[in-house]
Amino acid sequence: MIALPFEHILILATTLFLIGFVGVISRKNTLFILMSLEVMLNAVGIAFIGAGSVWQQADGQVMFILILTLAAAEVALGLALLIRLQRKFQSLDIDILNKLRG
Amino acid sequence: MNSAQLIAIAPQLILSFGIVLSLLLIAWQRSKWLIQGFTFFIFVLALIATLDLYPIDNIQVTVLLLVDSYSLVALVLILISALTITVFSGFYLAKYTEVHDEFYLLLQLVILGAAILVISDHFASVFLGFELLSMALVGMVGYFRESDHGLESAFKYLILSATASSFMLLGIAFIYGTTGSLSFAMASNANHLIDHLYLAGIILFLLGLCFKLSLVPFHYWTPDVYQGAPTPVTMLLATVSKVAIFTVLIKYWFSQVNYGDESLTEIISLIAILSMLVGNVMALRQNNIKRLLGYSSIAHMGYLLIILLITSTQNITFAWQAALFYLAAYLLASLLIFMVLIVSHRKNNSDQIEIVHWRGMFWHQPWLAMAVIISLLSFAGIPLTMGFIGKFYLLVQATQQQLWLLIATLITGSGIALYYYLRIIFVLFAQHQEQSIAPQHGDIDNIFQPVIARVTIAIFSGAIIVIGIFPDVYAYFLSA
Repeated sequence: MIALPFEHILILATTLFLIGFVGVISRKNTLFILMSLEVMLNAVGIAFIGAGSVWQQADGQVMFILILTLAAAEVALGLALLIRLQRKFQSLDIDILNKLRG
Repeated sequence: MNSAQLIAIAPQLILSFGIVLSLLLIAWQRSKWLIQGFTFFIFVLALIATLDLYPIDNIQVTVLLLVDSYSLVALVLILISALTITVFSGFYLAKYTEVHDEFYLLLQLVILGAAILVISDHFASVFLGFELLSMALVGMVGYFRESDHGLESAFKYLILSATASSFMLLGIAFIYGTTGSLSFAMASNANHLIDHLYLAGIILFLLGLCFKLSLVPFHYWTPDVYQGAPTPVTMLLATVSKVAIFTVLIKYWFSQVNYGDESLTEIISLIAILSMLVGNVMALRQNNIKRLLGYSSIAHMGYLLIILLITSTQNITFAWQAALFYLAAYLLASLLIFMVLIVSHRKNNSDQIEIVHWRGMFWHQPWLAMAVIISLLSFAGIPLTMGFIGKFYLLVQATQQQLWLLIATLITGSGIALYYYLRIIFVLFAQHQEQSIAPQHGDIDNIFQPVIARVTIAIFSGAIIVIGIFPDVYAYFLSA
């Protein structure tokens, strides 16, 4: 088995994280924003598992399970709001929601 | 885990057990008063348990939690706001015929999240408390799905808070990767400071917390969510969430050996200065009261950041006392003004109250107007109110650490703040203008004012004044 250096795992995790972040700030469709959020959270999960394997501890994997739980809760909330959005405006465009300003 | 440790986390256990019982209660009988009374009862029990524990020697409960006296004081503050929010949610929900059990359930979840946050000593428990708090809050912000702005606020809050959590988690992953430990004290090591990855980790972690404290430049969500959320939820956002997260921030920061590190100190000073200025300047041109309070909370959190800038371990005790005093002053004043906002809701049931709607309030509702004035003066830090003593603590702290630039900004910021606080006070005393296009006299429906609301408002106004004149009442409690 070849051990991956921690730097490589970090580079992978950070790249995925940035892809997700760019998705969150540039996408117009709410569904894709929620998907990008998932990408960000899972990128963090990779970083945790990598760090856990470097230190030979279970802590990193425990954190990953916690993150998975959070991701599920977040998507449940996000999809519920998305359905409200679709019903109210017949659209998933996030730009509809810009009434509050000042 | 021995019995002493179990007793130390009794408030959290009571809250968790209460949530399970509430679920069973809802399954058994759906009643407005039953669930509200039960929630109130659980919070009272938790408050009694907390007061009974205080003062306490530091007790480590597993690696995850550390109970100390300061976190208990923060917990007392959180539970006091929880109790008032429970009572005033009842008034707010009274206009709906539907039974809103879920609202109280979510409220209990938020309080449990906050209660876990204040005693956490480990990144995993911070994460759990933080998410419990935010996820339940998203549900509460978007609770009234038919309201005009509910959906918009909830979406903004969900997406931004999830992004902030991911940044915080990435920071934790970096810290864990370099130090190999997730507990606060163990993850702090001066040798790692040269490591860029470790520094990046700390900064990302702080960024997540700064978002929740709505500090500049992560403040964009604050006014929108404050305005769009139902008023009791805004009350919760402004008090419980801020107190819990600020407590965990101080707890993390003071357990580190690196609080004297220059690059981190500079970043925090910069955030503090920007928050004080941006918050106050943006509040100047707001007409919606909730929005104005949102901007003013940005400034208050900026003032509070001064606490973090200590240089040696000897200052920690005083810094904690200053922080808890200022937080208490901010909390009481916020609760008071939000209570008035809830009871003075308008006839058309809209909770969007503009400053003009309070025109001439002093002449037909003198006691309510006095409460608003006391709360605003306390926000502004005028002598004889609690806010003055809070600012005094901050200034003493800043002078000891010789943070002249921050002191100058704090004074400038307070000066600007006085302008918009006084503007509201002038409106309260103004006579009705016949030709005004703005809503006419009687637009505010003041008929609905139960005795409990009046008594609570009177108690809070009294507390702000009494602690303002005799700060020892509370300061003695803090130093016990």
